[in-house]
Amino acid sequence: MEKAMKKIVEVTSNPYAYVEGLKEENNKKIIGCFPMYVPEELIHAAGMIPVVIWRGNESVTWGHAHVPPYDCGITRSFVDDAVRGKLSFMDGFVFHIRQCLQAGEFPFIMERHFKPAYQKVLYLPALYAGDAIRDFAITELESFKKSLEDFTGKEITGDSLKKSIETYNENRTLLERVYELRRGKPEILKAREVMQIVWSSMLMPKEENNELLKELIAGMKKKTVETKKNSIKVIPVGCLCQTLQFDILDLIEDLGMIIPDDDLYIGSRYFANKVGLDGNPIEALADRYLTKSPLCPTKGVWDIHWGDEAIKKMKDNDAKGIISILIKYCPPHACYYPDFKSKMDKEGIHEIMIQVEHEVITLEATKTRLQSFVEIIGGV
Amino acid sequence: MEIKYKVNRLQTTNEIRPLVDKHWADLRTAKERGEKVAWASGPSFIFAYAMGMKCHFMAGYSAYCGGIGAGEEVLKVAELAGDLPESCSYHRLHMGMGEAVARGIPINPQAILPMPDLMVAGRLCPEMSHYAEGLNRRFGVRVLPIDLPGPYSKDDMPRIREFVYRQFKEVVIPTFEEVCGKPFDYDRMSEILRILKEVALLRNKCWEFFKDKPSRWTLWDYGVSIAPVFYLMGNPAGITYYEKLLKELQERREKDIPAVAPDGEKYRLYWDGWLPWAFLGKFMRKFIPNGAVVLCGRYPWEFFPHPELIDPEHPVESWADLYYGMESHLTYSFSPKGTIDLIGELIEDYSIDGLVMFSSKTCRVMNLAQPEVIDVLDKKYGVPGVIVEGDMIDSAMISDAQIETRLQALFEMIDGRRKRK
Amino acid sequence: MAIVSGVDVGSLCTKTVILNGDGEILSFDIIRSGHYYQGAADESIENALKTAGLKRQDISYILGTGYGRSSISQADSEVTEITCHARGAKKLFPEVRTVSDIGGQDSKVIGIGEGGIVNNFVMNDKCAAGTGRFLEVMASALSVDIDEMGKLYFASQNKLEVSSMCTVFAESEVISLFAQGHMKADIAAGIAHAIARRIIGMVGQVGLKDEVVMSGGVAKNAGVVCAIEERLKVKLSVAQEPQIVGALGAAIIASERV
Repeated sequence: MEKAMKKIVEVTSNPYAYVEGLKEENNKKIIGCFPMYVPEELIHAAGMIPVVIWRGNESVTWGHAHVPPYDCGITRSFVDDAVRGKLSFMDGFVFHIRQCLQAGEFPFIMERHFKPAYQKVLYLPALYAGDAIRDFAITELESFKKSLEDFTGKEITGDSLKKSIETYNENRTLLERVYELRRGKPEILKAREVMQIVWSSMLMPKEENNELLKELIAGMKKKTVETKKNSIKVIPVGCLCQTLQFDILDLIEDLGMIIPDDDLYIGSRYFANKVGLDGNPIEALADRYLTKSPLCPTKGVWDIHWGDEAIKKMKDNDAKGIISILIKYCPPHACYYPDFKSKMDKEGIHEIMIQVEHEVITLEATKTRLQSFVEIIGGV
Repeated sequence: MEIKYKVNRLQTTNEIRPLVDKHWADLRTAKERGEKVAWASGPSFIFAYAMGMKCHFMAGYSAYCGGIGAGEEVLKVAELAGDLPESCSYHRLHMGMGEAVARGIPINPQAILPMPDLMVAGRLCPEMSHYAEGLNRRFGVRVLPIDLPGPYSKDDMPRIREFVYRQFKEVVIPTFEEVCGKPFDYDRMSEILRILKEVALLRNKCWEFFKDKPSRWTLWDYGVSIAPVFYLMGNPAGITYYEKLLKELQERREKDIPAVAPDGEKYRLYWDGWLPWAFLGKFMRKFIPNGAVVLCGRYPWEFFPHPELIDPEHPVESWADLYYGMESHLTYSFSPKGTIDLIGELIEDYSIDGLVMFSSKTCRVMNLAQPEVIDVLDKKYGVPGVIVEGDMIDSAMISDAQIETRLQALFEMIDGRRKRK
Repeated sequence: MAIVSGVDVGSLCTKTVILNGDGEILSFDIIRSGHYYQGAADESIENALKTAGLKRQDISYILGTGYGRSSISQADSEVTEITCHARGAKKLFPEVRTVSDIGGQDSKVIGIGEGGIVNNFVMNDKCAAGTGRFLEVMASALSVDIDEMGKLYFASQNKLEVSSMCTVFAESEVISLFAQGHMKADIAAGIAHAIARRIIGMVGQVGLKDEVVMSGGVAKNAGVVCAIEERLKVKLSVAQEPQIVGALGAAIIASERV
């Protein structure tokens, strides 16, 4: 387990160096997928390596000339990395521009300043019901497939796509297993480590990641830990694709709380639910996207309340509260949050919102909020 | 001697207010008369109009609230209700209005609208569906979502056009039929388009007067005249209005009266992004004393700049084509590439000296890649541009000093280039 | 009976309260925090001891709170200022349901349930907007002291709008209003209302419930208190010494932990 964890930490501590090395080792093209929901299976089936784009840990410099300060951290950080040449090992990008407005500027900025060999803009529908929507989602994926075939000059057969889906589904099953094992004994891994495990899956070739996860799981089964009594369990909900991401989790744990599960991206949202293997694989990918990817403010859904989903997760884990992690300048989340909050108030659920921002470090103030939250739950 | 610039106000534009007021008053009282009410965002309100419903439109209502000075107090209620100041101010405005009614917080009664029988949420951006979702979650409003992707490149348009057209036919029209309990009125939709076409053709003639040097009117004059090609669509009063406006502009040309006294403008500007409805006067006072006049803009040019393409005989198809057809492609101007094409045309047609790129801090739909757009256009046309930060209606997002500095910089850049020539 | 103490190390001021076994205040102290929190805490405890005529060994429990709570080496434990302000306000005003605390560099509104338990709270800690520091900067832009600024509010004939809530922008706005020849009193009233605007938004999020207690140093500014009252349309309860509410709460929790 230690060995597997060491590799995971190595991959996630310097994703730039890792992905660059990956390219050289495998002699394959690297395609950066902007979060979230890009069906990586298609890129995998095309014989390239899909990698989920991450936010850097540095201050935005040249990026200021390209994006306003009131765009979210990952937007600014990604553009900054790209224009500074820090991503020069990437051969192409996929942008799903319908999940948020800010993503709409990437393709143009990249065409001008990065000139990727491959670039695809996806318009996966933001709504989920009806034949027109499903048909369009399928059309989009067909067009994505064709663009990949045009780029590589090789056909993506139904069988090869199914094989890729199997590999991805296995990865999802293994990550689920990691979560399951940890739920039974949360002290076995720090929340930071769990996120690093999920993040490693976003960066590594899935076959390799699957082997690593198997090793990790075997170790997790064997390992025994002392369980902490009287700790308050909490579920973080929201987004972590920013600076400070893991520090926030450390802070929560340092204050004596336990995070047995999460509704986060990076986190359980990445691997939730599998792609069906019966029938047409493109349709199966569309159906996972439309019906099985977890609820999130970037989606137009209101017959299900995100708050209910979070409460269910909380109750399933015997948790006592919810910590919303909201990224500054994430308009979809900001718009949804008041309704999420009022749902919590109505249900009498303890909930607190922590806002995180790229470059602005207010850990001390965040600590006060979280500590007050513990005091409220604990009844000080 | 320094020239004292002043704006020459048009007479005809005074006649818009009663039309606009009547529209919103009718909407406010519709339920009392037993009429059905719809709300809409994106190009979907025409379907409500075709069914004889009174309909609110997201940006139109926000413009109206800005105009009557109600924005600030309504936004305050939204904040009280927990809405975050960084979220879309149009979203907050609608939530604030609903919350004010629900919580019994007094606001300007003119800003209060009845909750709709149907909210058509055309999702150009996530926020547009969010405010519909919020209305559903908070007030139980029935919501009809439709997905309206903005195309990044022209190649993507045919398949998006098909998608949107299918939603109109398969979802929007049947839902309106159900809500109203009668078949969809295609004839009325055709009639609305016929009137729209006539109004927009007249409006295009008025646009010609922006080409005059000096210009005969300002974008602000046109800004207040948008309603007839927008939410007053189908109202024949729009024809009368634009006929009158055209006549007044012709008279100005004959008598050589410029929009900016005494002798016309020193700088001819383009305006990008939303019109800042609550601050039109504020900006006007920053332009005119410098001899600057804004003549054209991306948002005001969204309202059917090619009326010749409107085909009233095929209303639904034509409606989809206006937004996504290869000829008209209104939604393409949201893409940086489309923006550059459009501004390029406007620079040439209207002899533009500089670009004011208004960047809204809470709505990014028109902010996309603005720094790139400036750079591309400067290299191609030698026309400088500046970004001015602000918001459509939220004054907390506007800094006077910053705006003044940036505009001053723009004027200096234009002066500098003129000297070099 | 145990004598206990609460120490609240805020970003601008450090406050100490000493309680006797019956929960009565024996003494309190307020000093500037400066840059060395531990030193400020030690000094403030020393001052309070002296006023009460006590020695360090007389105190059986010290509880720390405030921004610098983890820097108090003498403290036996720490609790956040949110909980402490709620408990302190509850002690002074048993019917309290809402606390609005405007401190040196943050402001918070706390909703209090039955038994003085914190229900919910909102906090502005991102910038100095609408805080004690904001008021200090504005006072110096007007060349008056804070007390005088509070009084000026009531001399205002014509309230001005200070639209910016950013300390840096608001300062330049105030200077330019000054340059335009506006009256000091009118500008001071505009500033008070700018702070009030900020606070009522936070009160709204927590949910306004009577009785509302205002604590923190800014509560000493009668103009700001009045501006908030006007906007909330409720009377605010202000302690005689609003700055020590947090330290008092800390001392109360300390007495439970002895």
